[in-house]
Amino acid sequence: MKPIRTLVLAALFPVVTAAAALAAMSPARQAIFDEYLSAARTAEARFEASTVRGETFFRGQHTGGKVDTPSCTSCHTSDLKKPGKSRAGKDIEPMAASVNSKRYTDAADVAKWLKRNCSDVLGRECTAPEKADVLAYLLSL
Amino acid sequence: MRADPNKRIPVWDRLVRTFHWGLVAAVTIALATGFLETASLLDLHVAAGVLIGVLLALRVVWGFTGTTYARFASFVVSPPTLSRHVAAMLRGTAKPHVGHNPLGGWMILSLMTTLTVLLVTGVAVLGGVLKDGPLAPFASFATGRQLKELHELAAFTLLALIGLHVTGIVVESLRTRESLIVAMLRGWKHRRADAEPAPPRQAMPALAGILSLLVLLSAGVATAHFSRLPVAGLPSQPLDTVYAKECGACHSPHHPSIATAATWASVMRGLDRHFGDNASLDAPVATRLAAYLADNGAEHWDTQASNRLARSAATDPLRITATDGWQRLHRHVDKTVFDRKSVGGRVNCSRCHGDAEAGRFDPRAIHIPEEKQTP
Repeated sequence: MKPIRTLVLAALFPVVTAAAALAAMSPARQAIFDEYLSAARTAEARFEASTVRGETFFRGQHTGGKVDTPSCTSCHTSDLKKPGKSRAGKDIEPMAASVNSKRYTDAADVAKWLKRNCSDVLGRECTAPEKADVLAYLLSL
Repeated sequence: MRADPNKRIPVWDRLVRTFHWGLVAAVTIALATGFLETASLLDLHVAAGVLIGVLLALRVVWGFTGTTYARFASFVVSPPTLSRHVAAMLRGTAKPHVGHNPLGGWMILSLMTTLTVLLVTGVAVLGGVLKDGPLAPFASFATGRQLKELHELAAFTLLALIGLHVTGIVVESLRTRESLIVAMLRGWKHRRADAEPAPPRQAMPALAGILSLLVLLSAGVATAHFSRLPVAGLPSQPLDTVYAKECGACHSPHHPSIATAATWASVMRGLDRHFGDNASLDAPVATRLAAYLADNGAEHWDTQASNRLARSAATDPLRITATDGWQRLHRHVDKTVFDRKSVGGRVNCSRCHGDAEAGRFDPRAIHIPEEKQTP
């Protein structure tokens, strides 16, 4: 029984942590996240956001975008609690929700950067489920 | 060796000597810092110019109120007298003069005139090109640039006059067998029977003091007043907050004055492929920023940047660093400076120009960050 319990726990862990992070979210962040979640559910009826999928997507190497920015981490770096660097040399404020209270509180800002950066990294717009996963991941940090 | 006081004749009083050697120092600094044309030396150049101005003002007052040989009347002679002196010199019959000889007197006038031209044009260049100082409200950039040529011409004239001045000193010292340099240091010459004296005059130190105070005070007040007047053509408002936020997210936000409205319109049309990046904006924000840029483009200002960066490069019309003006203005900057992590490329104007976001680009506000040591 033990291995199965471990597996179940392991499977539940991201869901639990995500739920915990989301539970602690400010109303502004909650509203933005809910919007992306419902957009994803319009695309996929039984969609549940996953911080694991979000992290894989965020840290993954992609093709189709610009050569010098194959990943979100190309600019944001792999330590999301520290500042990143724009290609033009300007510091980018940390992405982790826990260290940057201004992040994910302005819906227009979130939409603007997702639009620009998905096009730079993937050469296309991100899908609604991709956006919801990435947001869940960044909000959980 | 102490000479017998009866054999000494006082010529150059303390004020004349202080003026002379003070001027030598100030002019040396002004010429050296001027010809080097280094941004970091501009403050020193201006300070030397101010000192020259003060010294000249005091000397002019003293020229009308001072001791015998300080007076203009003692050494400024008419052109016929001058030519008679030159002719006598050529024949070898010219008498020594206690003060300046006629040629020397004209040299003093020439030097003082040239220095005045340098002062006036210098202040006009500061006003027109850098939009600073008492002539900033009155001198356009174009005027400033033209007067810079004149300023440089006058500097070369001054160098030539200094050469002639020193030659004259050496010749006259040999001719009269008394060092004029030593005389200018200790103030007196040896009394000699054949020397041409000037009619003695009483110094009027109280009047000189009052006049000097009046001249310096009014010049100071006028400078302070005119320097504070609003300067047409110099941006005074901070950057639009939305503009600073949106454009400043990726690079230091450029002041709108560094490109024409037409260039900005092209930039705004192509934001989705902005120098290789997607920088697209919401329609309402884009409209607002486009209007702000159109209203504040280079044609609305008269700064060095608005004048010199406005003409687009044919090959890369949107890139400000590709313009001829940008290239020329940065020709002395080592290429590796832009590669420094602390600078972060040519796009980050404000890394080196402390006043870039105000659109001013004063050379005195340039501080190039050193490369941070890697631990």
